[in-house]
Amino acid sequence: MTERIAVAAAGVVTPIGQDLDTFWAALLTGTDGISAIERFPVGDLRVGRGGEIKKLTRPVDWRRVPDCRATRLLVSAADDLCAQAGGRPDVDPERLAVVVGTALGGVEEGERALKGGSARRLRGALYDAPAHRLARWLGARGPAITVATACASGATALGIGSEMLRRGEADAVVAGGYDVLCRFVMRGFDGLRSLTRERVRPFDRRRSGLLLGEAAGLLLLRREREAGPARLGTLLGYGSASDAAHIAAPDPHGRGIERAMLMALAEAGVAPGEIDFVSAHGTATPLNDPIEAAALRRVLGPSGGAVPVNSIKGALGHTMGAAAALEAIVCLLAGCRGQVPATHGLEERDPACDLDCVQGVARSVRPRVSLSTSLGFGGCNAALVIGSA
Amino acid sequence: MRAPAIRAIGLLTGWGAGAAALPSDAARAAGERAVLTLERPALDAERFRRSRRECLLGVAAVGAMLEDAGAGREAVEGARTALLFVTAAAYGASNREFIEARGGSVYFPYTAPAALTAEVAIEFGLTGPYEILIGGAPETMRAVLRAAALMESGACDRALVLTVDVFEECADLFERGRGGLARPLVEAAGCLWLEPGEGTLSLSHERGRKRDAEAARERFGEMLACEPIAALAIARERGAREPVSVHGAWRGATARLAWSQSPYPGRGSAQNAERRSA
Repeated sequence: MTERIAVAAAGVVTPIGQDLDTFWAALLTGTDGISAIERFPVGDLRVGRGGEIKKLTRPVDWRRVPDCRATRLLVSAADDLCAQAGGRPDVDPERLAVVVGTALGGVEEGERALKGGSARRLRGALYDAPAHRLARWLGARGPAITVATACASGATALGIGSEMLRRGEADAVVAGGYDVLCRFVMRGFDGLRSLTRERVRPFDRRRSGLLLGEAAGLLLLRREREAGPARLGTLLGYGSASDAAHIAAPDPHGRGIERAMLMALAEAGVAPGEIDFVSAHGTATPLNDPIEAAALRRVLGPSGGAVPVNSIKGALGHTMGAAAALEAIVCLLAGCRGQVPATHGLEERDPACDLDCVQGVARSVRPRVSLSTSLGFGGCNAALVIGSA
Repeated sequence: MRAPAIRAIGLLTGWGAGAAALPSDAARAAGERAVLTLERPALDAERFRRSRRECLLGVAAVGAMLEDAGAGREAVEGARTALLFVTAAAYGASNREFIEARGGSVYFPYTAPAALTAEVAIEFGLTGPYEILIGGAPETMRAVLRAAALMESGACDRALVLTVDVFEECADLFERGRGGLARPLVEAAGCLWLEPGEGTLSLSHERGRKRDAEAARERFGEMLACEPIAALAIARERGAREPVSVHGAWRGATARLAWSQSPYPGRGSAQNAERRSA
């Protein structure tokens, strides 16, 4: 087993809450973060709904932050993280690193720049621009890294951030993921016919597709021995694997996500039977859910049918690069607070998804070890094993 | 960290194939040319009918690497090979085309950086650990470090570090947004085949652009993420038997990746030579 990495604090900005406590309360009470998109035109699209954040409410001095929504989501989540941690990370700035995952980076800046925006806005279109701007806001002078493993990006970022701490490259890492809802991505998914006109229903017999959301989730990672007593939990293991099957669809046999889970469990030194809770990718697309469920059952073994599983995508949409980071936070909070949120939108469980999906109301469970799974375009798969504090 | 050995290198640039094509002074060699482009590789037209030029360049770079190794697809196929991809802006062309909806021809999944790696993974059957980093030369160096960590942890037996950066479709935007980019812009695709090696590997960062990093750009032109692979190919071409280090700058920081002994099997330590003959 490799050295454990502590999660000292976390911060979020989501359609259902712009701080950790509000986000958690909204998940437990079944708040619906899906609404009609107002920030950009969607009249020509089949579907114009998503998990849009109507107004950023954190008391940040926005004059110091570029007018780039991706950057502002990151800064908003970082501001919450700093509030949870009692201030900005107290380490030498040269030893503070940033690792964030994204599926879209600053692409909305590209949309604006192509309509005649400035050179600065154009440079902001590069996918790694928001991470560097976050690093500047945090005062971090260590490496600022962007990963782009599509919708598994947040998990990849947490895996790389953990490794940097184990190797002594940094003393603290702010890691996680983000993505914005913009016309680019709405047009793309709308064209693929992936978006549902109904509710998002992960693992439900009637599921008909996903809706997109925007969010950022960040975690403050420290080596366990240096983290101090206040912590949310530990990152025990990370694994990734490629499907090598299709550009956009998951491997029908789920072999990639299975390998990623096994790699994460091996790194954690955790047996499948020790998993108490799974925060699933659960996109509610007809393809994803049964493939993921079958892979989970294979990995978790005979006890897999009794492990509580949820997906938060029914509540806030698929937040792409942020999804895995938020789902890791759900695992941590479930361990701290002794409850697993219900899967918003799930009413009639699909027999093809043979899992113990938490349905209806939150369940009183205090997982000691949780598993989070992520699948993305390009056959990107990643998994995290997370321990309770 | 235990250093990886470089078993093979595939390198395709706007200058030509391999290290031998690289000039000693990019500006002089380029003359009036602002962008040195790479043609769309002539690969299976049906199989890659939706695929984009940058994706095919990734496939071609891995093909060139296998040719350099004298190995076939089966040598890297499977779950014991990690694939780490780095690009600063290879996604720019597809993103722009999708935004401007020119002919509506871009299949949306190809706007993701992961589309390039997906094509490579599918073509060569790569099902191992899989990471994609966005940025310039320092991120490529980090990918080498990640590859070494994955091998050291036993997650894989070998790793491919793939880089692709293209400019042609967005040349006007690079001109408009130019933020410290060198001239000329040189399209490039490169791939390193890494295996467990001898000695140690270290990665260090400094603020600001350092002379060593500028020297590579002056020599090759602006290759963004591909620059370290070009530098490693040049070092191998020279027959480096000593420790090797490469430098690269991006967004106001310079990174240095250093091997404590030659990373080229057969050109460094006696153990390396023995392993190669074995």
